[in-house]
Amino acid sequence: MARIEYQEQLEQLREDVLEMGDVVCQRLRRALEAYETTDAALANRVIAGDHEVNELYLDLEGECIDLFALQQPVAGDLRFIASSFKIITDLERIADLAVNLAEYAKRGDPERYPDIDVVHIGTEIVLLVEDAMRAYATNDADATYEVAATDDEIDELCGRASRIVARDLVETDVVDDDLLEEVSRMLLTIRDLERVGDHAVNIAARTLYMVENDDELIY
Amino acid sequence: MSTEEQSLITTEVQTENTTRADRPDETVLEARSLDVYYGQDQALTDVSIEIPEHKVTAMIGPSGCGKSTFLRSINRMNDQIDACRVDGELSFHGKNVYDEDVDPVALRRKIGQVFQKPNPFPKSIYENVAYGLRVQGTVDDVDLDDAVEQALRGAALWDEVEGKLDSSGLDLSGGQQQRLCIARAIATDPEVILMDEPTSALDPVAASKIEDLIDELVEEYTVVIVTHNMQQAARISDRTAVFLTGGELVEFDDTASIFEDPADDRVEDYITGKFG
Repeated sequence: MARIEYQEQLEQLREDVLEMGDVVCQRLRRALEAYETTDAALANRVIAGDHEVNELYLDLEGECIDLFALQQPVAGDLRFIASSFKIITDLERIADLAVNLAEYAKRGDPERYPDIDVVHIGTEIVLLVEDAMRAYATNDADATYEVAATDDEIDELCGRASRIVARDLVETDVVDDDLLEEVSRMLLTIRDLERVGDHAVNIAARTLYMVENDDELIY
Repeated sequence: MSTEEQSLITTEVQTENTTRADRPDETVLEARSLDVYYGQDQALTDVSIEIPEHKVTAMIGPSGCGKSTFLRSINRMNDQIDACRVDGELSFHGKNVYDEDVDPVALRRKIGQVFQKPNPFPKSIYENVAYGLRVQGTVDDVDLDDAVEQALRGAALWDEVEGKLDSSGLDLSGGQQQRLCIARAIATDPEVILMDEPTSALDPVAASKIEDLIDELVEEYTVVIVTHNMQQAARISDRTAVFLTGGELVEFDDTASIFEDPADDRVEDYITGKFG
């Protein structure tokens, strides 16, 4: 094995990206917990901790740029670093959406829509992000297709939830500002959860490209 | 304007926008089952490859893999090595260059070569370029002056030497000397230019000028380049051939494919530095 230090740097990057994935999934779970328990203090901790994810992101971006500039990677190494570079952006966006969720948790009324199980949808989506990161960790191309298929099911769930909100609004006789605020908050919650799922698919798509040089899942 | 006229204009624009990589391949050189031996040692093993016209084809691989041997086989420079034996076929426009009726000197006029170390003759800049033309029989002074200027322009050297054509070629910088050698090679109007590590003795600025020049030369000529610098192969070539130990051509493909997703694991290991 030649270029030992370079190989070690590649392995370090993989470990660091996986660690960032763990941190982001943990933030998402805490935001969901805050939403479920209406725990404002926990929500605030999620919001306040976002800068740590941003710093992780910048560190990893630097690692990728250094590898590009100093090692001129090609072939599988190039696809690995390029994919990692994209995946950390998706992880950083997921952390931003976890912050949004924590904000909604502070002001929302979870009892307002008993037919919408935000925590269930959110939990499914966290699992999806974890599946995508596991595919990245294990170079599992088959698993990336499963992530994309599961996201389609989650999109259905989110679509149904949005329709419940819309129907409820249409069927309500007195529409006041409080209701409108609650409606928009719930629609934003559903939309942001759906976006987390889209980022999970992006991670899967970049992983498929990394493993198979196949861009089928990219957009 | 009729629809037909409009369609012609559209076609013209599309043609102008076609990049080098999009042009259809016309094979100019082809090796079939080529084996080359130096005495008992086999330097090339069963090499088959089709080299496209007006493209840059790079040959990469570790030292001793046979890439320079392949280059020298193309214009029969290996003839000068007594112990060298060539089996198989290497054709130029369909004609086997190893047929008995092929004159190697005439062949080398059509397939010129530039070497690793710039090797201008110890003569004036003008004479370095004019030499081959005189040998070829271009004797008219006006024609000769024009041809020298055109060759020097073609090698992107004219602007730097216009006022000192009588100076010795050896007084030029390394990069200029190499471009002078390229001017000498193109003066005799070859179809193919073989380059054996043409920038390895040059500093990065001089090397980048040669790389830019190669990009221009390929409009008129076919370029086959041996390089140890993989980034250079990636930057300047359209096709890349990877030779590995034993003189085996392991993979030949579009350069982007080789450097983004090589088919052969040995090539992946070599270009990512895991080889050896």
